[in-house]
Amino acid sequence: MATPTKARAKSAAPSLAERDPQLLKRIYEKMVQTRAVEDRMVAMYKSGDLLGSLYTGHWHEAISVGAAATLRPDDYIAAIHRDLGAHLWRGMEAWQVMASFMGKATSPTGGRDGTLHYGRLDLGFYNLPSHIPANFPVAIGMAFAAKYRGEDKVCLAFCGDGSTSRADFHESVNMAGVMKLPCIFVIENNQFAYSTPIALQSASVDFACKAAAYGFPGVKVDGTDVLAVYDAVAEGVARARSGEGPTLVEGVTMRMHGHAEHDPADYVPKELFEEWRKKDPVELFGNALIEGGVIDEAYAKDIREQARQHAIAARLKALADPMPDGSTVEEGVYAD
Amino acid sequence: MPTESSNGSVTYLEAIGRAMMAEMEADPDVFLIGEDVGQFGGAFKVTKGFLEKFGPLRVVDTPIAETGFTGLAAGAALVGLRPIVEFQFADFISCAFDPIINVLARHYYRNGDPMPVTMRAPFGARLRAGPTHSQSVESYFAHVPGLKIVMPGTAQDAAGLLISSIRDNNPVLYLENKYLYRRLRSDGPLSLDPIPLGQANVVREGRDVTLITYSAGVSQGAEIADELDKDGISVEVIDIRTLVPLDIETIVNSVQKTSRAVVLHEASRRMGYGAEIAAEVQERCFWHLDQPVVRIAAKNTPVPTSPPLEDAMIPQPAEIAEILQKVARA
Repeated sequence: MATPTKARAKSAAPSLAERDPQLLKRIYEKMVQTRAVEDRMVAMYKSGDLLGSLYTGHWHEAISVGAAATLRPDDYIAAIHRDLGAHLWRGMEAWQVMASFMGKATSPTGGRDGTLHYGRLDLGFYNLPSHIPANFPVAIGMAFAAKYRGEDKVCLAFCGDGSTSRADFHESVNMAGVMKLPCIFVIENNQFAYSTPIALQSASVDFACKAAAYGFPGVKVDGTDVLAVYDAVAEGVARARSGEGPTLVEGVTMRMHGHAEHDPADYVPKELFEEWRKKDPVELFGNALIEGGVIDEAYAKDIREQARQHAIAARLKALADPMPDGSTVEEGVYAD
Repeated sequence: MPTESSNGSVTYLEAIGRAMMAEMEADPDVFLIGEDVGQFGGAFKVTKGFLEKFGPLRVVDTPIAETGFTGLAAGAALVGLRPIVEFQFADFISCAFDPIINVLARHYYRNGDPMPVTMRAPFGARLRAGPTHSQSVESYFAHVPGLKIVMPGTAQDAAGLLISSIRDNNPVLYLENKYLYRRLRSDGPLSLDPIPLGQANVVREGRDVTLITYSAGVSQGAEIADELDKDGISVEVIDIRTLVPLDIETIVNSVQKTSRAVVLHEASRRMGYGAEIAAEVQERCFWHLDQPVVRIAAKNTPVPTSPPLEDAMIPQPAEIAEILQKVARA
């Protein structure tokens, strides 16, 4: 019987004072922005601005931003629909994400794909299909290409707890171990895959321990603690860059909204939501930065207001943008 | 390994190996990945000697993980490499259906990034290999926009079409007929010039009936046409070479001349690629046709193992000749 993965010892982590304050501020700003854009998009969903449903990452901001912040701009990312934070970290425009959920011509896919499928290769992102973790085999391919060319780039791949049950998770994680590919696999354990609780997903004591079977380290962290995520993923990135192979990081959090906004998630026990509501990763990090003297209340308030205004402006731009021209539907099926 | 004959000809299998080797020599971004392709040289020995020549970085033996290595190829292609994926048998390609359909085939349409992945898969019957080692898989994939499908019927085409497939910026499914591997030879020394995808080949000119076919149907059809010629029946044989893109113009021009069309393949009849060709010919050549377009295809059964059963399933030369004769003379 496998034993649960031990959480990383907090004592080993550097204190706030030992960290780069500019990096801390930037991480906080992106987390606040992520929340502001998603809150704005929830309002847009309710008011009928969007084509279909909306997939948000409330309480995933620490995992998404914390992990992405460990990378260089030339590293690759294969993210999922809870990772707006990683996209924004890399320079994705909020209005483009909104345009994607509206099927606009200005979305990254020009309306060929839409909703959560807005990843931009020019920002190092693989734009995944809906079959998550179909992004995992692709992620190991990007990592393979880096190794093939003798580059020290790495690939950061995200999936959820439910994805770990699929064959492509096993095949790609196993191959990454065998081939010692420069990958960091981040499992965003948010307790539910649509309506399916983790107890019905896996009989394993946790997800991080699965790494042992693939022959590389697995680490479990508090997914609402952005610095815990950052430190664990950074260790994985260092291992990957130096040719030591993959690392798996499980970030434990809660999906605070439904699978998508159409889903009231009434299958989730109320007490569970109440318990996790106290662990808002954006608020927790803001408070920690204020307590540690990295920022003050006024700065935090200012950042929140800027993010809110930015999201409002993004909505107006996306709304005003044109829809694609139906007569172009047959263009671009094949590359020249 | 069979070697060059006195006239310098090579087998269908050697043609595939030579084409791949030439492309790997010419382009350092081309690599080969699959099960047993390296130290073992591939289940059919197509890649014998590749590992020694190119090393383990470019000739990658993988765990048994079709989804994994097909997806890996997609990721590598996205960032500029040109992978050649080998499926040990086309039957196993079903294990990679998801990355082929949802990752490879639609990536360019969704995102505009080229996806230059060549997927090689030995397919087909006649080797008494049974229901899960003998399948023709082209129809599963011909329905999917974004894929190209290449099915060479001669040793020379096997090389020229493979070179074009590897250089293509789209995902290409290259289906090699394993029955032909050591049974077909090139006419003379092998040319390594690319043969464009989407150009059918009029293998044999004729007046009375057009036989439209691909892969093993090409040599089989040409032999039968030679026999029928002795009875005064002139069959034009068209090798479509690539199912997607389809060179419909060459087919239409021929049918307009002969006024009769027969389609031949060893895949099952129902929803086989012959149905698509028959429909296209009917729409485009209706007023030129003297006879309905006829499909000769395998029966709608799994491919059985035992010789009498397999032979009963796959179209046999006598049956093909009889149908051609009937259509030509009607």
